[in-house]
Amino acid sequence: MSVLPFPSFLDDVKEKGLKKAVFELVDESVERLTAGLNIQDIREAMRGEPASRKPNPRLQPHADGFWLHMRPSYFHADMTGLYPEFRLGWLSTYLVFFETITGILLMVWYTPSPEIAYSNMLAIQSTIPLGQLMRDLHRLGAEAMVLIVSLHMARTFFTGSYKKPRQFTWFTGLLLLAITGFLSFSGYLLPWDQLALWAVTIGASMIEATPPQIVGDNLNLLLRGGPDIGANGILRFYLLHVLALPALLFVFTGVHYYKVIVHGHSLPPKKENIGEDTAKRVPLDKRVYFTPDVLTSELMWIGVTTLIFVVLCIWFYDAPLELHADPQVTPLGTTAPWYFLWIQGALKLGDKVFFGIIFPTIILGVLAVWPYLDVTPSRRFADRRFAITFFLALISFITCLSYMGLAKFGVETSPDTEILHELLYPPQHSHVGALLPIPYEQLVPGMYITRQVEGDPADGANIVAAFNQEIAQPYTGTINSPAIVTGAANAKTTVGDGLLDVVTDQKLAVSAVSFKEVPSDAPELLHVLHLFDEDIEANTNYLVNGWGAIIITQNQNNLKRADLVISWNEVQVEGGKPKLDASGKPILALDANGNPIVRYKTDHVFIHKDALYFGH
Amino acid sequence: MFERMLVGKIENRITVGLISLVLIMVFLGWAAINEGGRMQAFQQMESARSIEQGAMLFAANCTTCHGLDGRGLAGKAPGLNNPMLFGHDFYPDVTKQISNLTGEKKTLTDEKNAAGTTDARKTEIDARVTEIDTTITGLDAKRTADTKLAVDKGYNPTDVSYSRLLEVGWSGTLDSFILTTLIHGRPVSSNYWPQAMPAWSQTAGGPLRQDQLENIVAYIKNWDKGDNWTLDDLYAVNQFPILPEDAGPIREQLRQAIANGGTVPQPVGTDVKAIAAEVAKLTGDPAKGEQLYHAAAPATLTGQNLPCTGCHQQAANGVGPMTNGTYTRVVNERLKEPQFAGYTPEEYLIDSIVNPADYIVPGFQNVMVPNLGTEVLNAQDLADILAYLKTENQ
Repeated sequence: MSVLPFPSFLDDVKEKGLKKAVFELVDESVERLTAGLNIQDIREAMRGEPASRKPNPRLQPHADGFWLHMRPSYFHADMTGLYPEFRLGWLSTYLVFFETITGILLMVWYTPSPEIAYSNMLAIQSTIPLGQLMRDLHRLGAEAMVLIVSLHMARTFFTGSYKKPRQFTWFTGLLLLAITGFLSFSGYLLPWDQLALWAVTIGASMIEATPPQIVGDNLNLLLRGGPDIGANGILRFYLLHVLALPALLFVFTGVHYYKVIVHGHSLPPKKENIGEDTAKRVPLDKRVYFTPDVLTSELMWIGVTTLIFVVLCIWFYDAPLELHADPQVTPLGTTAPWYFLWIQGALKLGDKVFFGIIFPTIILGVLAVWPYLDVTPSRRFADRRFAITFFLALISFITCLSYMGLAKFGVETSPDTEILHELLYPPQHSHVGALLPIPYEQLVPGMYITRQVEGDPADGANIVAAFNQEIAQPYTGTINSPAIVTGAANAKTTVGDGLLDVVTDQKLAVSAVSFKEVPSDAPELLHVLHLFDEDIEANTNYLVNGWGAIIITQNQNNLKRADLVISWNEVQVEGGKPKLDASGKPILALDANGNPIVRYKTDHVFIHKDALYFGH
Repeated sequence: MFERMLVGKIENRITVGLISLVLIMVFLGWAAINEGGRMQAFQQMESARSIEQGAMLFAANCTTCHGLDGRGLAGKAPGLNNPMLFGHDFYPDVTKQISNLTGEKKTLTDEKNAAGTTDARKTEIDARVTEIDTTITGLDAKRTADTKLAVDKGYNPTDVSYSRLLEVGWSGTLDSFILTTLIHGRPVSSNYWPQAMPAWSQTAGGPLRQDQLENIVAYIKNWDKGDNWTLDDLYAVNQFPILPEDAGPIREQLRQAIANGGTVPQPVGTDVKAIAAEVAKLTGDPAKGEQLYHAAAPATLTGQNLPCTGCHQQAANGVGPMTNGTYTRVVNERLKEPQFAGYTPEEYLIDSIVNPADYIVPGFQNVMVPNLGTEVLNAQDLADILAYLKTENQ
């Protein structure tokens, strides 16, 4: 007899034998853990058989357990297919957990400080096994989450599921969308690379526009932790990202789920009579129980989604990491993250306060109160022409604005700057300037000129020789190179000397200008020379008599330097565009003596043998 | 059909889910197996890009003093593309031999000083020590003669001076030596270079971030050729680093001069007319002046070489006006300026040397050292330099 006041396990063993006693112990433990299902119940459920005991034990976890009390115990049969939900809500929830787990793993290796955040990123990618995969998964999951939550909202709108009694569910959903956006956005800054710094700087400057000025200024100060984003700013974004916003997200996810329990899933519109809401009155023959049908379906979708992410991240997707953040250097073509591009596009329409703050607030406000304004009872498509038209128009509008938010829209950069950037820019996402991926051995030291590719390929040597002679002729007009502009005594007298002066000013060690043909074993270099030439040809209104030079020098062992120079005759400019004469030709700007002004623009990069700049 | 297959039957759902799970595990395993190679490739790529970034920064910030090829500028700043920085010993056998001999000498000296050593043994030891000293001197002389082209530019092949780190007694790594120098600059170097090396790190009030400094270190270290340095590399260096000289001997000379009733040489000051009068009493030696100007002989007062050629080079590409034709330009151009009415060419030159900020030739910046008149030059040195500059009249 046990010393305890109740029979012990040993008593059971004595009474029933070891095998039976152990089985009963396990069975009982499983039933406690699942809040109602014993082993037999689980086996039946997994086999798709009806429950053998009554009352149905599969409902018990919904009543007694924590996890399933958040889920309805049965669904309407019409709700369990792909349509109408496309599993978007479930996938959104799954991504919250997916992001939390990958995020916590990344937190282990991350310190929110401008001094080390970037080297943390490099360490995650280079010395921590599977670190890069974790980061890729986290980043891809974040972008997918914004997309999936948005789609979930669109679906809810199209099926009219926001209508009474689910207005508040819609509202919490809208909050969740906003939180998701800000979560993704706050995570953007953390790698502390150029992409992060400038995308967030653009975003934060919108907040600065909040009227009145004193509010905007202080909001901006609170968020950035100073006039510019620095040590305080990155810490604040980090805390928002890992504490404040997730906390809000979990709270509102709870509310959102609770509302689904209370109101049930709204049926496809045509399955109900107009004005009826039968979600909570599911006929017995239409009931699909959560365990096992919906549960297996949801687990399956988790598996499939994770598989897709893993495959994408291993073979197709790398989270971007650009150069170290540098507040002094604004990269050309900076944009906000894609989901905020529409605001950036709107900003190009005019006033910062109206289009940056008031306009997005209006859109979110209209969406928030929409269920309370749209009180028509019918959820059928045919009866909701205005609402659906409105929403489609909104989507089109946002899409157009997003397009306008792209760097190429409405931002004028002078063609010379644009061309050099096109050929030399450091890696951004999966793109890189055209010159950088040239194989190292094809970067043959020498000077190359775009004139070579303008004529007959067979005649290249003569063209280059003729050009060498041309630029060695004394030039009577003005040459706008650094030494002349600064008025030093050693003024240049030929176009070639001007070129030499321009690159020498950039600390290039060359003593004479002598162009040569691109060697036949450097086809990639020739290809870039073609691109360079086409870019200049495409801007003949601005770059009159323009030519481009590529100068490649060996700087160190395994390190080459490539200098690009564009030279052209300056034209008269009016309102940012070249002034044209009656025949449509640009009018040259002339110096005091009536001669054309030769201008130069140059930029350079260094390319190491092992730098491996892949593809475009 | 797709929907019915996947969602309709529970066994299909379980199968699809399980297959997904297994595939995830397989792919993660595959990624894990390849991770070592991937990480290595990433590191290689990253260090390559770090060198590229360092190259950009070096070109923009460092080449003005250390030269476009990193080999230094004579009289201005030492070469970094330099076997000495990387501690390459061109004569390892000799170094080892000398080290052995020095060790033997120490043992013998200890034995000689020990109690109970017989006089006969002491004589024997003295003879051997003399022999060792001669051998070492001979070996050093040979190394010095063999590397004459570099020695003329300040290279010292003897002792441990083949390595900059050993020479200055740096106990840290080469990385830390370069990085620390970059962070804080070289404040005292203004004693022997025309200008101090500025602090480059933001933490020290300079313009660059830590990661940028590390990129520059990576770039500088990329010059290292390991065992493949050649003497030609050594000869190509334009300027070797300077080990600050011990001021003791000069102080001792002065002390003795005073004790013997002599006078302490005084710097010329900054009063142009007074200096001109004093210099006029002396005879300038153009050959000595040329040596002073080109840092081949030390200034009398300081015992240090003058920094003139750091900026004023023979040809046109210096930081200051070129040396060639100085006198001609003074006479034909400068003295035509209204503010120099009544100046003699000597007075103009003296003024430019002792009050460098008074007038800057157009196109140049005021970077000249201000202490030449107040601390460095005495009247005779100045007279010699003027005599030399007068020969630059082509």
